[in-house]
Amino acid sequence: MKIPDFLVKTYIAIIILIIYLPLVFVVLLSFKSGANISFPIERFTLDWYLKPPTGYEYAAYVSLFHDRQFFAALRNSFTVSIVVALMAMALVTITALAFRRRMAGRNFLFYLFLLGFLTPGVTVGLGVNFLFRLLNLPFSFWSAALINVIYVVPFGLILMMARFDPNLLFYEQAAAVLKAPPLMIFRRITLPLIIYEVISAAILGFLLSWGEVIRTQFAMKGIGTLSTFINTQLGVNPLTPKWYAAGTLISAVSFLGFLVFAYLLTRTVRQ
Amino acid sequence: MSTRPPKIMNYILLLPGLLVIAFFLVIPLLLTVVISFMQEFSFTNPIFTVENYIEFFTSPQTPTILANTFGMSLLASLVALLVGYPAAYFMTFRIKSIKTRNLIISLLLVPFLIDWNVRTIAWIPILGESGIVNYLLQYFNIVHQPVSLLFSRWTLIIIWLQSNLLFMIFPIYLALSRIDPDLINAARVLKSPPHRVFYEIIFKLSLPGVIVGLTFVFVNTLGDYITPSLWAGGIQVLGLSVANFAANFVWPYAATQSTVLILISLAVLVILFKIVDIKKLVE
Repeated sequence: MKIPDFLVKTYIAIIILIIYLPLVFVVLLSFKSGANISFPIERFTLDWYLKPPTGYEYAAYVSLFHDRQFFAALRNSFTVSIVVALMAMALVTITALAFRRRMAGRNFLFYLFLLGFLTPGVTVGLGVNFLFRLLNLPFSFWSAALINVIYVVPFGLILMMARFDPNLLFYEQAAAVLKAPPLMIFRRITLPLIIYEVISAAILGFLLSWGEVIRTQFAMKGIGTLSTFINTQLGVNPLTPKWYAAGTLISAVSFLGFLVFAYLLTRTVRQ
Repeated sequence: MSTRPPKIMNYILLLPGLLVIAFFLVIPLLLTVVISFMQEFSFTNPIFTVENYIEFFTSPQTPTILANTFGMSLLASLVALLVGYPAAYFMTFRIKSIKTRNLIISLLLVPFLIDWNVRTIAWIPILGESGIVNYLLQYFNIVHQPVSLLFSRWTLIIIWLQSNLLFMIFPIYLALSRIDPDLINAARVLKSPPHRVFYEIIFKLSLPGVIVGLTFVFVNTLGDYITPSLWAGGIQVLGLSVANFAANFVWPYAATQSTVLILISLAVLVILFKIVDIKKLVE
């Protein structure tokens, strides 16, 4: 009994469809005229992106390109996510390399790292809030970034540890016997063999922190990242196609950013 | 052996990660437990009490909240497993070209770039009363009044499926792609029936991935109080309750509920990890 090829293809197509369904409707609705979120769409317009504001409308009706707060939040999101990506990349790499060898407390330490994603977001957020209150520390860019780092590191760690080349340790030992200094071994032997996992760790860090709301909301100040900003806006303002326009813009820009980032990273590390 | 870097080096490499975890995870969680036993959030004049726990466990709402919280997350994890396992299986054993596989994985990643909120409101034009599903149902005269598809428990499951499916597919795919093809071939040569090859070899060896996937989805949905509050017709979940009490500065009671949340979720995870050693996925 073998499942026929067309069923396999259909199944994978359906999965991709489920994943993409929201995105398709976000893009469609962003071009809809009128403030209602309803079907059928009678007329398409660019108003929600471009229309110059009169100065009298509510925030939810100001077109996207004229909304300054939106762009401030977008910039915050980018900086937080890029910092999270770089920190996660470094931490995942050194941690995964350290975990290869037997050592006292290895299991305990491994589960401690996993705890970052095993703890529900609201619990972490509340706890970090308590600590900062107790120490009288202000929330900042760094607290928002670091609370995300502990969340994304386990994902990268599992990915990298699952895919280590079984011979990597032997190659490293061979180089060490030939008296290569440790940093040279890392640059010339270890890194080229794990480079895809290193890049994946960075990409995962970027993506997961980009979408995080709950943890970030507990550990930020001011306008926050894009997710927390839109979350607040949706709580107080009516729902208009503007937020769908925001979604379309974010997806387009961040998809490009994501490609450029991955490309640059591959290039610099290869050199 | 002199060629091997000293063991102390390993601990030094772990140090930066452990420092971040101590400050942003371990100390905050311990602090939460301590505060959950306090009358007020005050360390200058602390009064310790178990009143918060008595209040929580005797509240008439508690059984419903606990059932909602863990029931919905468990259901979401199982649905994601049922949908995600075949996808991971097909990707590993039926798609031969590595390029196509990587393409599919990248395709699955892209929607993660949409903002989280926007991904949630995206369902209004699909399932809302004036959304496309209702439009089509009325257009083809299947129903005459818009049906309420949003704001039900199943809507929550669909939304959670969309946003968590990747967390399920990926670890299973990782586990499946580590299975030695010779094992499967050997079983086939020895005329083992297909369902036994699948169960005894493929499924059992993929269990670490299944457990990691279940854990991802379970914990992710457990900590997400915003989606249920928006989409599930106002069902109460523990995370939402924590957030509400925290927003009203009732710190100790929020800490109590937060402690219960993490204790029960850790208990579930310990049971899962006892059944299957997930470290097999990384060794």
